[in-house]
Amino acid sequence: MTDNSRHEQDSDLHELQTRFQDYITGKSEDFEKDIISTKDALAEHRLGAYYNAYRIRLIDCLATDFAVLHKELGEEGFELMILEYLKLYPSQHPSVRWVGQHMVEFLQHSERPDKSFLSELAAFEWTQGLCFDAADSKQIFMLEDMAQVPPESWPDLTFTFHPSLRWLDLYWNAAPYWAALENNEQQHPKKAHHELPTRWLMWRKGTNPNWRSLDVAEAWAIEAAFSGSNFAELCEGLLEWIGADSVAITAAGFLKQWITDEIIVSVQTAN
Amino acid sequence: MSSQPQKPFLGFGLGLRTEHYQEILDQQPKEIDWLEIISENYMIEGGKPLYFLDKIRQDYPMVMHGVSMSIGSTDPLNFDYLKQLKALINRVEPKWFSDHLCWTGVDHKNMHDLLPLPYTDAAVNHIANRISQVQDFLGRQMLIENLSSYITYTADAMSEWEFLTAVSEKADCNILLDVNNIYVSSFNHHFDPLEYLQGVPADRVWQHHLAGHQNTGNLIIDTHDEPIIDPVWELYEKTAELLGSVSTMIERDGNIPPLVDVIAELNRAREIASPFYAAENHD
Repeated sequence: MTDNSRHEQDSDLHELQTRFQDYITGKSEDFEKDIISTKDALAEHRLGAYYNAYRIRLIDCLATDFAVLHKELGEEGFELMILEYLKLYPSQHPSVRWVGQHMVEFLQHSERPDKSFLSELAAFEWTQGLCFDAADSKQIFMLEDMAQVPPESWPDLTFTFHPSLRWLDLYWNAAPYWAALENNEQQHPKKAHHELPTRWLMWRKGTNPNWRSLDVAEAWAIEAAFSGSNFAELCEGLLEWIGADSVAITAAGFLKQWITDEIIVSVQTAN
Repeated sequence: MSSQPQKPFLGFGLGLRTEHYQEILDQQPKEIDWLEIISENYMIEGGKPLYFLDKIRQDYPMVMHGVSMSIGSTDPLNFDYLKQLKALINRVEPKWFSDHLCWTGVDHKNMHDLLPLPYTDAAVNHIANRISQVQDFLGRQMLIENLSSYITYTADAMSEWEFLTAVSEKADCNILLDVNNIYVSSFNHHFDPLEYLQGVPADRVWQHHLAGHQNTGNLIIDTHDEPIIDPVWELYEKTAELLGSVSTMIERDGNIPPLVDVIAELNRAREIASPFYAAENHD
């Protein structure tokens, strides 16, 4: 059944549901006339159970998904922000898991003076969630697997990465700031903005989200490798930052680290 | 209406919650006969929830309980959702799956709440038709659960139990009868819960939920964050007497206590219902 072909008998139900939903979202109070008041509880009071539950449930959910943003803004500040968020981005997904998917965009376009920092903090938290329940991989490529690769195959090697792998380029120190608040450290770093971004690699190792920062050479290398560049092309590209005499050993070092991080699931040779 | 298959009895179960994953996996408590999972929590691609689900599934029979089918909505059925549900059913191989006799949103929005329907013939037809579509798509019968509700529509033309019965019979689906929800709604709407129990088709009631709630004075709110209160236990005893052997589980969704506390509630359910069930089997 399409939206335009609802049976006539459903149209009354559709109108009723629209009025109910408009009441819950605060758009209209027309729905009160559809509800029976009793001596002990007026329609307005009864409907308040739904009006309040909608807000409480989604605030609680988003306070879990954005636990550090919640700490940063405080109870009242967070609640006010979420109420604004829900007006602009009402949930359209069956699962409450995705209610917060527009939070970064919402913060970026808000009028808040600290929107740049907060949106990066939110991006860092949301991306951890994406890593948390991203697809599994049936295999992980280990260092002992690498030992089986003949040296003559190395230049042509390409890499397949774990489905949970993500990266974020952040101008603020949102990641160490997040860690300090998450760990309830007495002192957390002052918010600091940098002229150039730092790339933060994020992935799931086992069942737990992991993350670390990359220097500019590794930041380039991981993106190139992810896009399909082979080992020889990585070495060639890294010459922009690394001397020719040590570029191969540096690239091999990156590769060893990626394998230790368990972000490579397989390697492919030219043949 | 097709003839009903023999009602399976799984015993006494718990809702599987994150806080209890490791303990259940490590200790495999014998008091738990089966587990119910919230379907949407596992309609994801991978990671920790699915890791524990697969491990624990090896030790316990499971049923699946959804909160997002929105079977009563006037939006089109969400077949992307149903495809994901089908994939999870294939993974878990549950004894059955259930969702609520409610709607959760309209015009492609989702309130993430279990919103009640008007008890009208038009609503019965609308919902029964959609349940039939879902059962056809998934190739199996579903269970539909009664809600806790806080409102009565001026449009209502029948009682809640007449509505639940009409939908289940027209759609040929089974019923997850939540005893706490009957208690909550009977308080909020001033009806006799025994009349409710006597009004539902016993052969279609395949599962019970038991849970706690919060009494705000003039309304009881279904919160699942408190222990089950004595009047609900008493109603459960009456339910066991009237409806016979029905797989029963404890639902706890907030303020999650240690596993041992929930198992204590489960044992109480077992103590209350078992004499009736034993007598029934003896007969």
